[in-house]
Amino acid sequence: MKPIKIEKIVRHGKNGKGTIMKLGLGDINLGDERFRTSYFFPLDPFVRSLKRVGLVSPPVVCIRDGSYVLVTGWKRVLACREISLSPLIVLEAEEKPDLEMFLLAFFENLATREFGLAEKAEVVRRLEGFGETAEAVVRSYLPLLDLPADRAVRDLLIKLSRTGDDVKKFIRSRNPPLPVVRPLLELISEEQAFLVPWLLMLGRNKQRELLEDLEEIEARDRTGLQELLASPGIREALVSSSLPAVQRSERLRAFLREKRFPLYSSWRESFEKARRGLGWPEDIGLAPSPFFEGEDLTVEFSFRSREEFLERLGRLEALASKKDFAGLFVFRASREGK
Amino acid sequence: MTAPYSPEKVFIDSAALSYPLTGKILEKLPDVPAEVVPDATDLAAWPALGPDPVGEGKKYLHLAVQKGGFVKPCPCTPGYIGCNYFIVNAGLNCPLDCSYCILQDYLAGPFVTVFVNLDDLWRQLDVFIARLRGGTCRIGTGELTDSLVLDPLTGLSRNLVSYFRDKPGVIFELKTKTANVGNVLACEPAENIVVSWSLNAPTVAATEEKGAPPVEERLEAAREVAGRGFPVGFHFDPIIRFPGWEEEYARVIDGLFLAVPAFRVRWISLGSLRFPPSLKAVIRRRFPATRILQDEFIRGRDGKFRYFKPIRLELYRKIVGMLTCRGGNSLPLYFCMEDEELWREVLKKRPGGKENVGHFLSTPVRQVIAKS
Repeated sequence: MKPIKIEKIVRHGKNGKGTIMKLGLGDINLGDERFRTSYFFPLDPFVRSLKRVGLVSPPVVCIRDGSYVLVTGWKRVLACREISLSPLIVLEAEEKPDLEMFLLAFFENLATREFGLAEKAEVVRRLEGFGETAEAVVRSYLPLLDLPADRAVRDLLIKLSRTGDDVKKFIRSRNPPLPVVRPLLELISEEQAFLVPWLLMLGRNKQRELLEDLEEIEARDRTGLQELLASPGIREALVSSSLPAVQRSERLRAFLREKRFPLYSSWRESFEKARRGLGWPEDIGLAPSPFFEGEDLTVEFSFRSREEFLERLGRLEALASKKDFAGLFVFRASREGK
Repeated sequence: MTAPYSPEKVFIDSAALSYPLTGKILEKLPDVPAEVVPDATDLAAWPALGPDPVGEGKKYLHLAVQKGGFVKPCPCTPGYIGCNYFIVNAGLNCPLDCSYCILQDYLAGPFVTVFVNLDDLWRQLDVFIARLRGGTCRIGTGELTDSLVLDPLTGLSRNLVSYFRDKPGVIFELKTKTANVGNVLACEPAENIVVSWSLNAPTVAATEEKGAPPVEERLEAAREVAGRGFPVGFHFDPIIRFPGWEEEYARVIDGLFLAVPAFRVRWISLGSLRFPPSLKAVIRRRFPATRILQDEFIRGRDGKFRYFKPIRLELYRKIVGMLTCRGGNSLPLYFCMEDEELWREVLKKRPGGKENVGHFLSTPVRQVIAKS
C-alpha cells in the first residue's frame, strides 16, 4: 500500500495554535536536541508504520536561531530519515519560550504514552535547564511521572541524565527500578561499562543484590572493582569460554556475595559440606532456616505412593543413624564460640 | 551540655491554640516565629522538596491536638519476643539526629510534634489504667520521640511524674539520650517512675548520635536522678559492632556502675542494630560517611536487616558478661526484639511470650514498692 498523501495544507491564523506546513527533512536542524527526551529506541516499528500508512501525526517544530528544531516527534522524524521520507507535514508551533515549548512536548507525550526511567531523567534535566526550580520539579512534575515527590528521586534522575550511554542503554532496555539504578550510578564509568553486560543477564533482584554488594564492599574495604576482580578464580571465570555468559554472570554475583558476607558464606559452605559428607540424597531437600536465623532444619521431598513415602523415610532414618548426623546441628548461633 | 532545642519556626494548628501547653511552649520561645495554620500536617509535603526532608522537618516544631489514641501497645516486631510494653504518644519525632533512627522512615509527618491536649491524655490514661483492673504494666513516652528532649520547653515530665506517682501498678518510664533532667529532679521521686538512658559506645555516640550529649553526660544525669531517689534503667540499643567495640562498651559499663549503684537499676535492655530495608536508603543518603551499614546483616524473620546471628550472639554474650561481672547476676537484663534461642543461650532464660517478659521486668519494681 502506498503512503497516504495529505494534499491539503491548512494554515491557521494568528489566534490558532500553529501552522501546518510541509518541511524538507534537511530544513530541520536535528542537531538541536534541546526538546528531545527519548534516546536509544528501536526505529523498526516507526519505519514499518511509515511504510504502511505514512506520517499520520505531524511532528511539531519551532524556530530557534533561525532554523527549525524539533519539539515533538523525534521517533517519527528519525524513522523518516531512515527511509528518506521527505518533505514532512509538520506543525509549526506558535512562538513561546523554551520552557513552554518543552511543556507542550512533555504534556503531549504524557497523554499518549508512558515515559521510561531514562526519559524521565531527561525530562527533569530539561525542565531545570529551561528554568524550573528543583523544588518545582519535585512538587509538580515527579508525581506526573509516577514518581514520589522526593528530592532524592530528583537528584537520582539528574545523575542518570548525566551518565554514560552504556548505562542509559541498559536502563532503556531493562527499565530497572530505582533501587537498582541508584547503586549503578554510584560506580565510576569504567565499572559501569564493565558491569552492564553482566547485569543484562540477571533478573532485577539479582541485579540489585550484585550492585549493592559491590557498593558496600567498595565502601567497607576501600577498594574498587578492578582490585576485587584481581582475586584468584574470578577473572578466569569471567573470561572462560567454556561457561555460558549467564553462568559467568551468576559466578560474578556469587563471588561478590561471598566477599560481602564472608561469615554467612562460610556457614553456608560448611552446611553444604556437612550435607554432602552425610551422603544426603539429591532428591530429598535439606535446608537450614533462612540465614540460619532459626534453629529448625527443613526436609522436603515428594512422593506419589505410600511405598515411595516409606522408602524416603527409610533413607532418612538411615541417615539419622549416622554418627555425622549430629554435625547438621552445629549450624546454630548458640554453638558458635562454645 | 546539649544545646536546648530551638526550632526555626513553630506551626500551631488552630485547634491547638487554646490549650495551656501551647501558651507555655510559646512563652519559652519568644524569638521564634510562630504561625497558626489550619493543620500543619497539610504542610508535611514541603520538606520533601528539599535535599534533606528529615533534617528539614526537625527544624520545625508543630503544636497539635492528638486526635487518635495517646496510649498504644508497643508494636515490637513480628517473629521475635516482645516485652509487653505500652507507649504514650505525647509527641512525635525528635530533634536529635541519630543515623540509625527508625523514625526517619517510620513517621509520616516530618515535624517535631508536641500534642498539647493534655486533658485528653489524662482521661485516656485513666481509662487505660482502669482496664488493667489492678494488674501491672510498663508504659513510657520514649518510643516515637525522646522523653526528655523537649522537656525544657514542655515541662511534661513533671505532669507525668505527678500523674503516675499514685498509680503504683503502672511502671512509668521516661527514656532519653539527653541530660535534660532539671524538671525530673524537681519532682519527688517514686519507685514506679523509672528514668532511663539509651547508652552506646562513645565512638557510636560521637559519630552516629548527632545532637545527643556524650555518654558521660548521660551517666552524670543518671547519677543525679538516681541520687534524687528515682529508680533508673539503661538501654544498650542499638549495639553496634566496630573495631574496638569491646573496650568501649566495657568502659561505658564501668562508668554506668560508677554512676549508679546496681540496686537502683530496674532494667537494662540490649538490642543490636536492626533496620527495615527502606531505612537503609535513608541512612545512606543522609549519612554517607557512616560505616554502620557495612557489617554482615541478614534479613530477619520480620524482614528487617539485623546482624547475622553468630555476630549478635558474640555481641550479647560479651556485653552481658561485662554487665553481670560489674553489676551482679541479679541485674534485670532483657532483649529488645530477639528470639528464644538468644534469650536461652545468653540470658539463660526461657521467656515464653511477651507477657512473661513484662512480668519478669515489673516484678522487682513491684517488690520494691511493696516493701516501701
